[in-house]
Parts: sequence; structure tokens; C-alpha cells
Amino acid sequence: MREVLAVVYREYLIRRTSPTWLFFDLAVPLLYLLMFGVAFDKALGQGLQVSGETIAYNAFFLSGVLSMSCFGSGMNQSYGFFVDRDNGIFYEFLTYPMTRSQFLLGKILFQCSMAVVQCILTIAAGTLLLHIAIHWQFLLLVLIGMTIGTAGWFFFLAIIAFRIRRNDTYNTVINVTYFVLMFLSSTFYPLDRVPAWLSALAWLNPLTWHTDVLRFLTIGVGTLSTVILEVIGFGLFLLLSFWYAVRTLQRAA
Amino acid sequence: MSDTAIEVQDLVKVFRRKSHEPIKAVNGLSFRVQRGDIYGLLGPNGAGKTTTIKILTTLLAPTSGIARVMGYDVAAKPLAVRRQTCVVLQEDAIELYLSVRNNFRTFGRFHGLPAKEIEQNIDRLSELFGLREYLNEKGMDLSGGLKRRVQVAKTFMVDKPIVFLDEATTGMDAFNKRRTLEAIREESRKGRTIVLTTHLLEEAEELCDSVAIMNHGTIIAGGSVEDVKSLGLRLLYLSLSLERVSETVIKAIHERQPLRLEVKDNTVEVTVRDAALALDILAAVRATGHVQHFEITSASLEDVFVQLVDKEGSAG
Repeated sequence: MREVLAVVYREYLIRRTSPTWLFFDLAVPLLYLLMFGVAFDKALGQGLQVSGETIAYNAFFLSGVLSMSCFGSGMNQSYGFFVDRDNGIFYEFLTYPMTRSQFLLGKILFQCSMAVVQCILTIAAGTLLLHIAIHWQFLLLVLIGMTIGTAGWFFFLAIIAFRIRRNDTYNTVINVTYFVLMFLSSTFYPLDRVPAWLSALAWLNPLTWHTDVLRFLTIGVGTLSTVILEVIGFGLFLLLSFWYAVRTLQRAA
Repeated sequence: MSDTAIEVQDLVKVFRRKSHEPIKAVNGLSFRVQRGDIYGLLGPNGAGKTTTIKILTTLLAPTSGIARVMGYDVAAKPLAVRRQTCVVLQEDAIELYLSVRNNFRTFGRFHGLPAKEIEQNIDRLSELFGLREYLNEKGMDLSGGLKRRVQVAKTFMVDKPIVFLDEATTGMDAFNKRRTLEAIREESRKGRTIVLTTHLLEEAEELCDSVAIMNHGTIIAGGSVEDVKSLGLRLLYLSLSLERVSETVIKAIHERQPLRLEVKDNTVEVTVRDAALALDILAAVRATGHVQHFEITSASLEDVFVQLVDKEGSAG
């Protein structure tokens, strides 16, 4: 545990040096919800039909914002490997007395705490400003969901960061991945109203699983049996990504 | 308890890349380092020194062979090896966004030092390495030499039995280098084993108890500095101060085919293979010009190194 906390301490010191970055990291999901969510909510007028229910777009989009912010957190944190590589410190880390998995867990633990703060701020804004009816009894599960989501995406994106040597290539690959995953998921729209091919692809996407679970926990949309399957799916995605990220890191030198 | 700190036996590292010929960076390397020694790995670029250090510090896995650090196999027990070692890698490694003080702090935390000990060590090392006035400067604001100095100083935050220094003094000015070498010697006196690679052979000559000269991934000469210097080559260094260095003088020396000839103002420096040739050159120069001063000494480690690597190159 000492080793993991040493990495967390290092991440904390680095982030503390850039309050602007810290502010935007926390504020972006909030801004997404307030600007994008509100605009679509007004444009759609009567709200969305999801599983026979009418839901305001703001409420529907809240879990999309939360899952996107997990992906964004994972993306920022995995990009940090390029900064560490440029500083030369990355390889020095690998000579420190800790395992590769402790290193990865430390890297993500700090980011997970950021994701929890992001989540609380976004839900608070959704409730107070947009009057979204939140299922408060599941708040703790939502926060756990944010932690797991951030970790899952970080491990997945870390694999790509370890395998790609150039940060411009990484940026291109990640932007395309983000675009495809976001639009082939239930982040922006309900999947029962999109073309069958799109819906089929979206069901294979871990971002859909994560968004659906968060949607079920925050506003109660979805069926329990589907959500349980999606929890298992995302859990497997997390474990596989972690295992492969550790393996890739072992070969990164 | 064994006296051996590091044991390397028939170590091989082959790099394989798609559509490229495999590169054998380390080729059947074997050596031992005694506890408390300062051991120098010397060799030209691409000799395999850094690859060897990377294997010994668990950054790279060996293709075959054995490498043990304090009795732990680097491939089977990498974490145990990392608990025994500290490393200054060839690449600069510093947290650019953190102050020098916080660079020390994070390093101390990673190595499990309590906060109080970290602060005490920062105090001691900033004095030893002349870094006190830079403690609050960010890494990004330091000169290249200072960054390197912080990197080396960090290594001595923790009391690990083995320290690896890969080209540790690269980029340092003469003053900082002197300070750093003194600090390394000081740490060695405490019983720590230090393995260093360097291109600066006078540095190795000054610091090391024993050295190994590497080329093409293997050791071509090894032993104490004196052993290596007298490896049957019997090289001698002849320095001649003249009133004027004329063409005739240079021609006379050239005709006798010395291993090395260098002219600095009115001084001619020559490296030769034996005493007879040194005396012959001295006589020839005396006949053509006014010798003000001459000196014959055994050749430096650098002369021996160049000679050994050249010989290897022409044989290979």
C-alpha cells in the first residue's frame, strides 16, 4: 500500500502545480451538462421516449456526461505517460521498489478521487439547476461506478499509451477511438430508437455498459437484469485491461 | 554472507524487431563485482554498457544467461533486486513541474523513507551536492548540469547497497563534476557498491577499484585499473616540450609509427608500444630540434582503451 500511496502523493504534487488544469478537469463535465444538455433538452421539447417512459433529455444525458468524464479522466491520466517519458522519469519509476501493478494502481487512485469530485459536482448541478430527480439511495453505488469506470478506461488507454511511442500518434488514435466509442453508445441517445446495426454495435461497447449502469443508478432507467449483465461485462473489461496493461508495462522498457 | 554484490554469467540480450536483423547488444557477458567496490563498465557507444545496466536494474529482461544482484536473480526476483538498488539512468530523469525539494520528497517516498528522514536527507544532500540555493526552483528552470546533479543526489537519499550510475556526470561542468565524484567516493567509503559507466576514462581511472572494457557486447579486458593498463600492451606516454614544433620533427615521429601523436602548441604527445620506441623517438626529436623538457610515463587508461578497442575492431 505504501508504494501505491507514494504514486498518489506524486500525482497530487504534480496536479497541485496547475490549478487551471485542475479547475477545467472538474468543470468540463459540468459545462457539458449545462450547455449541451440544456440545449438539446430545449430542442427536443417534450423529452425522450425511453422504454415506454418520457424522460427529460437533461436527466437522460446526466449518466452520459458521467461516463464521458470517466473516459476523459482515463485519457488525461494515460497521456501523462508521454509527459513522464519526455521527462525521462518514466523509466526511473520502473526501477523503483514497487511492482508494475502498484505503479498503475497508484496512477489511477488519484484520478479516481478526481472522478468522484467531478461526479458530486455534476449531480449537484443537475439537481439544483436542472431539477433532475436523482435516486439518492444509490449515490454511493454511483461513486463506486465512477471509480470503476475511470480505472477501466485508464487501464485500457494505458495499453495504447505503452504501445505507441509518439504522442501525436497517440492523440490521433485516442481521438478517433473516443469519437467512435461515444457515438456508438447510449451516451447521447437511447439505443431502442437508432438503426439496428448501430444498436448492435453499441451493445458491444463498454461505454454503453458503463453509461447504462450509471443511468439505472442515477434516474432508474433500464432493467435490472440487463444492468447486471452490463456490470459483469464492464468488470471483465476492467480486469482484462488491468492484466494486459501490467503485461505491456513490463515490456515497456 | 557472500562477498559478491553482482554476478553476471554468460548474459545475452538480443533485440528483435520486425523486418530488421536481430541485434545482439550483450553477447555472453560474464563478470563479478565485489561488495563495496566501485566498478566501471567502459566501452565505446553501442558496446552494450547501458543494456547491461538496464538488465541489472530490471528494466530489460535478459534473453539468456544469469544476472544476480545481491544474490537475487534479476529475471526471477525483479522486485527484490529493485529493493537493493538505486539507479541514475543515462537519460535525464527529473520531475520538471516539481521543485527540487519535491523531487527529493517523491523519490524518498517511493523508497519508503519516513517524512522526517526525507527532510534530514534533503538537508544533507543539498549541502553535499551544492543544491541548497536551488531547493525551491522547479526542475524545468534548472540547467542541464544541475538537473543531472539533482538526479545523482536523489540516488543517495536512500541507503541501498548498490548504486548504478549510467554516464552520471554527463553535462556537468568541471566544478560540479568534481563535487559529484567526491560525493560518489564518500558514499563508496560507507560500503556501498557502485557500478558506473562512463566515456570519461580519467573519471574511471580516478574512481574505480576495478574496470571492464566492453566492446560488441562482451568484455575485452577486465581487472583492476592497473591490471588493465598493463595488459601486455606496455603502452608508454611520451610528452616533449620543444622550442618550436617543426615539420621535420613531426615527420621524424611519424616515420616511427607511434600509436598516437598529438601536437598542442609547443608540446608533442606520443603514445608508443614499448620503451625502445619511446627512446628512439626522443633521440630523433633531439636530433632535429631543441627539446626543453621531456617526460615518459605509463599510458593512461584512455590510451589502453583506444588501443584495445581498435585492436578488437580490426580483428572483428
